[in-house]
Amino acid sequence: MHFLAISNDTLFIYYVLSNVIYLALLIVAIVKNVRHRHRLGSQRLELVKASPFTPPITLIVPAHNEERSIVGSVGALLGLEYPSLEVIVVNDGSSDATMDKMTEAYQLQVARILYIADIATAPLRAIYRSPLDPRLFVLDKEAAGCKADAINAGINAATSPYICVVDADSILEKESLIRIMAGVFADPGRVVAVGGIVRVLNGSRVVNNQIEEVRLPKSGIEVMQVIEYLRAFLVGREAWAGFNMLPIISGAFGVFQRDLVMQVGGFRTHAVGEDLDLVVRMHRRMHDQHRSYHIDFIPDPTCWTEVPTDMKSLARQRARWHKGLLDTLWPNRDMLFRARYGRVGWLVLPYMWIFEFFAPIIEVVGYSTIILALISGVLSKSFFLQFLLFGYAFATLISIGAVLLEEMTFRRYSNWREVARLLIYCLFEHFPYRQLTMVWRLQGIWQYLRGDLQWGAMKRVGISTEAEG
Amino acid sequence: MESTFSGIEKLGPAGLVLQAILVSVGGIFLLVGFIVLRRWYRARYFRRRNERTAALRSQWDEILSGRISAEAWRFDPLDCDIVESILLDSIEMSPADKLPPLLDCLRVSGLLDMRIYEARTTRGWKQQTALLALGRTRAMEAIPALAEGLDSPLSETRIAAVRGLGRTARMEAAIPILDRIVTGQFDAPERSLKNSLVNCCRTHPEVLINYLENADGAVRELLARVLGELASPELGEELLVLATDSLPEVRASAARALGNTNNPYSLPALHSLASDPEWFVRLRAVVALGQIENIGKIKTLLHALCDANRHVRQRAAWALARMEPQLEQILEDVVATKDDYALQAFVSELERSGAIEKVVRGFDGSNHHSAEAALKEVVAEARKRVELTGKAAAAAVGAH
Repeated sequence: MHFLAISNDTLFIYYVLSNVIYLALLIVAIVKNVRHRHRLGSQRLELVKASPFTPPITLIVPAHNEERSIVGSVGALLGLEYPSLEVIVVNDGSSDATMDKMTEAYQLQVARILYIADIATAPLRAIYRSPLDPRLFVLDKEAAGCKADAINAGINAATSPYICVVDADSILEKESLIRIMAGVFADPGRVVAVGGIVRVLNGSRVVNNQIEEVRLPKSGIEVMQVIEYLRAFLVGREAWAGFNMLPIISGAFGVFQRDLVMQVGGFRTHAVGEDLDLVVRMHRRMHDQHRSYHIDFIPDPTCWTEVPTDMKSLARQRARWHKGLLDTLWPNRDMLFRARYGRVGWLVLPYMWIFEFFAPIIEVVGYSTIILALISGVLSKSFFLQFLLFGYAFATLISIGAVLLEEMTFRRYSNWREVARLLIYCLFEHFPYRQLTMVWRLQGIWQYLRGDLQWGAMKRVGISTEAEG
Repeated sequence: MESTFSGIEKLGPAGLVLQAILVSVGGIFLLVGFIVLRRWYRARYFRRRNERTAALRSQWDEILSGRISAEAWRFDPLDCDIVESILLDSIEMSPADKLPPLLDCLRVSGLLDMRIYEARTTRGWKQQTALLALGRTRAMEAIPALAEGLDSPLSETRIAAVRGLGRTARMEAAIPILDRIVTGQFDAPERSLKNSLVNCCRTHPEVLINYLENADGAVRELLARVLGELASPELGEELLVLATDSLPEVRASAARALGNTNNPYSLPALHSLASDPEWFVRLRAVVALGQIENIGKIKTLLHALCDANRHVRQRAAWALARMEPQLEQILEDVVATKDDYALQAFVSELERSGAIEKVVRGFDGSNHHSAEAALKEVVAEARKRVELTGKAAAAAVGAH
């Protein structure tokens, strides 16, 4: 009985604390976003484009079985507005027609270009270049079974001081590179990495590999992910970056200082969450060397990406994300509560352990003890109901806050009906969607403990792009 | 009368939770209400703005010439904002000879004075907006107000002032910035400073020379970097002096500047900079040599192709691979260096530039037999190397 009472109290405190922290993050994010919007008003992108001081950048596109979207994505990347651009597509041992499609679309020819594997990768079969666009290079390599290996090959071949990793199934907006690099230009000496926002592509109209009209996806499961992405990027990442504690830059879209990535040994091969892992190691490296640095997040450069459309793929993705979380937190556990790692060691990593990694475990234990407490009479039914209602209302408030943030800043969903749908779905995010994700995340922990570190395939619809005219 | 909350408090901890529920639900309604209200207000505002923009555009010639008095639109905040936007956009897009009527309109209507007043008397975001707008006017009388912004204690305001001065694209606007940075006490992002100085000094880069003479350390490097972008052939002697500066960053900028002048007199200085002890100075010299059209540079570039630094070798190869009529001879010379890395780098660049096929075709009936053999060997070797690198890497991955 005593145990049940303590367990319930702990759960209550944990739940309140987690929501209060998120509320604080929301407030910080609102302030930061509004200030950023003001600053954007004074930024003239055409001046940045024309500036001789704009550094070159290499886009690295790891591609494994991307035959549906690769040609369109590369076309969009080559069309990006940036004065000095190099695009390196890394075909990571695709078993489908990815390479054939690229060869056909860009008339690829074998190039005898010197390649030095500063970071070890799986064997390279050949390097190709396109006579249609001298900025495009394709590395054809054997599969190593992980995205990190493909990115590392791209880093080896890159010739620019900054690299930007972009998923092959994603679309970058035309000005997104200039906008994300604004984060670097603000303080090139200190800013070592910048993340941009990743938004859900499903449902939107794409013409010539560019987003023509932003629409919400049709199915509920996809709309839920729109809300999740808004909350994660516009609230979470924006706020953490404000205090230089950003723990992750999405693998779908982020800019990194190439030299620093090389110094930390590139992306960790076979890491399940290679993006999170890299950023945590960058924090570690900079603190170890006592260097002043900043890892930033800019909310306006946008990358549109396809999200899972069916439960099975979503479950697999969420399990993988949770595995990735543990796969990064565990090797870096020595950073916890160490003065040397400052606020990263004292705040963000403990937060990730307690409120991200342990969340599904605590929730499932909580639900069980509450039910036991109810049965044994330790907990009153009315209090239980009130507690559930409070948790639900508070979490919904945060979700609606994320939609409000989107409304106050970038307003990508322009018509009333779409915003109304977003708001309605906010009401269902914390019941029953949240409980489902809890189960998937538990599966992830179980898989990790069993040593199952596979990525698992995601069913993709592919970017369906219309031709103009 | 007993309040609802005091009633709830009697319930104990459950009451506290109930309060929290009420607050959360209240918060949800508040947020949704705010979203709906904001959407409605914005839709109304933009509809009205569109209507007024169309109306003012239809009377644009009259507004510009003063046939419609400024009083007709100046005191309506929306109309005033629209006219100012159109004027500033037009100023930015117009050539110098079309500017006078636009500037006259700004002056006669009092818009310019209003912005100068705002830049001097307001603070924070409003002041920053005024400073940027003043910069866009490109008017001479805006410069003193912009210069005062440089002394603001707020860094955002100082940045706005720097950007504003840069947008005037007037040499006079560079002076307040230069006066402050040579003291070494002025704090603003280097990139903003460089961009503004480039914009302002484009037609008179010699302004920078005087300041360079009195600057040292980071400021000297910054000014040299700007000069590197703007150098003109008239600056010959000054640039040659900078090429022997004690600061490597200044020597690197001098190399860049010498490349931009594209003059044969630059060659001896660039030859010397290509042997500098600092790799980035050598790199800049090699890049600059790539810009100069003179076959006298080949020897230096061949030397740089065997440099200890990978970047220097790469840029030397880049420059050599673009000297089209001499490619076969250059290949012979590269082979003669007996430096495998140099040969690999050169062939890679021939491949990147797309010139390799021409070189291969050029061997038919030519005397460059050793170059032809070397090229074939490199191609075969490159394939082998890729395989070897791959195998070594695979072994490393396995060991990982």
